[in-house]
Amino acid sequence: MNISELKNTFADCELTTDKIIIKSNLKRTIEFVKENYGFDMLKEIIAVDQQEKGIELTYRLYSTDDEEDALISIFVKDEAESIVDIFDSACADEKEIYDMFGIKFIGNEELKRLYMPENWEGHPLKKDYEDNDNRLNWNE
Amino acid sequence: MSKLKLNLGPQHPSTHGVLRLILELDGERIISCEPDVGYLHRGMEKMAEKLSYIQYLPTVDRIDYLAGFFYSELLCRTVENALGVKLSDRVKAIRVMMLELNRIASHLLWIGAFLMDLGAVSPFFYAFREREQILQYFEKVTGQRMMNNYFVFGGVRRDVFDLDDIENFLDILPEKIEDYNKIITENPIFRKRTEGKGVLKIPAALNGGITGVNLRASGMSLDFRLRDSLYSGFDFRPVVLEEGDSFARYKARILELEESAKIVRQALNYLKKGGDLEQDLINPLTLKLPEGEFQSEIEAPRGLASCYIKSDGGKAPYRLKWRTGSYYSVNLLRKLLVGEYLNDAIAIAGSLDIILPEVDK
Repeated sequence: MNISELKNTFADCELTTDKIIIKSNLKRTIEFVKENYGFDMLKEIIAVDQQEKGIELTYRLYSTDDEEDALISIFVKDEAESIVDIFDSACADEKEIYDMFGIKFIGNEELKRLYMPENWEGHPLKKDYEDNDNRLNWNE
Repeated sequence: MSKLKLNLGPQHPSTHGVLRLILELDGERIISCEPDVGYLHRGMEKMAEKLSYIQYLPTVDRIDYLAGFFYSELLCRTVENALGVKLSDRVKAIRVMMLELNRIASHLLWIGAFLMDLGAVSPFFYAFREREQILQYFEKVTGQRMMNNYFVFGGVRRDVFDLDDIENFLDILPEKIEDYNKIITENPIFRKRTEGKGVLKIPAALNGGITGVNLRASGMSLDFRLRDSLYSGFDFRPVVLEEGDSFARYKARILELEESAKIVRQALNYLKKGGDLEQDLINPLTLKLPEGEFQSEIEAPRGLASCYIKSDGGKAPYRLKWRTGSYYSVNLLRKLLVGEYLNDAIAIAGSLDIILPEVDK
């Protein structure tokens, strides 16, 4: 994948050894990459809580023609653009990330608690989550 | 006709676990479907952050209890890649043989359960009869029938033995598949209920993140085993069918049984030559991954599965994420069931081979 072209279109992206880190325009970048480079599948979205740097979302795209991956990542605080219009499978990942990290994906209408009960407080995979909920002590 | 909201599951016998679908009906036709998952959530990813790698290894078989070897392999492979451990040819052959036997067992169970969904009871017993031989071999070698915990970081727990059991199984499998074809594939009722139902086209499948047999039954030749270094040197061809309906997904799994048997046969021939295991096991007590991000993937029976580990150099992963095939299949039901009749809903959902522990993690 020719990264310099991407840099002309989106001035604020940065290339590390294996992934493209962007600062904004998430939806437009992914649409651009899908249409111009043939990345026709979204394998998954990986969320990692990097504490003070925010939550890193890594979009792992796959091109079935070239059989290669492209990693696009962005740091967000508690909101991000939804890409359900571009990839339907993103809906599944966004729901999971909303439940586990509390990130609101703007444009995704189906966000609600997925694995955790609806009245659960906190988002378990965040690093500042305290699992001292007394509902967990059910056997005492 | 007025609209009706219908709850399907989570205790419905043919949802293969605890899948709940909230269907909206207009007469008999489905106009919207909302899957509700999470009844089986065990916090697999949260648990990883608290346990050391060796403590976590026995739990990963439970992500997909019908294909536990694949998830053991994924975790082992990610750790091995991170540490730069190379496997000997014999260990590789053992792993391939176990994985493919597991795939056959998983597909056999699916064939039985799928036919049960459609109201045919006896194929369930036939499929389980063949699957039993594989499970008995697993029990002999690994000590467990399903949650094997057989792969360890850097190799396998012990060498394989009694390879004649596998040989006998492979010898009878073709005639059993012939029987399945006579009983199931050529059955007019079965064909009427599956042909042309739940048609999935390639663009919709790719857009929905569908991989594995479900994608190949739609006409796309995408098999991650072809680029997998573990499978290099094995001769096989991915099964590709064009139609993309429930019947094609069934047919593809039947054909894949033969293809997997071919791989097992090749691994078996290699293992029969004998030789030492030559494995360099990683000491689990001092196991720490270097700082960084590691990822590996494998073609599991239910689509692409992958494991991502971010390590901060500590005893436990900083973050571990699983990608499982079934989760995207459930997500696809939102679109795939719309416009179909209610009495086809079970057949279509069943044909995608959804397994709930994989969805809920």
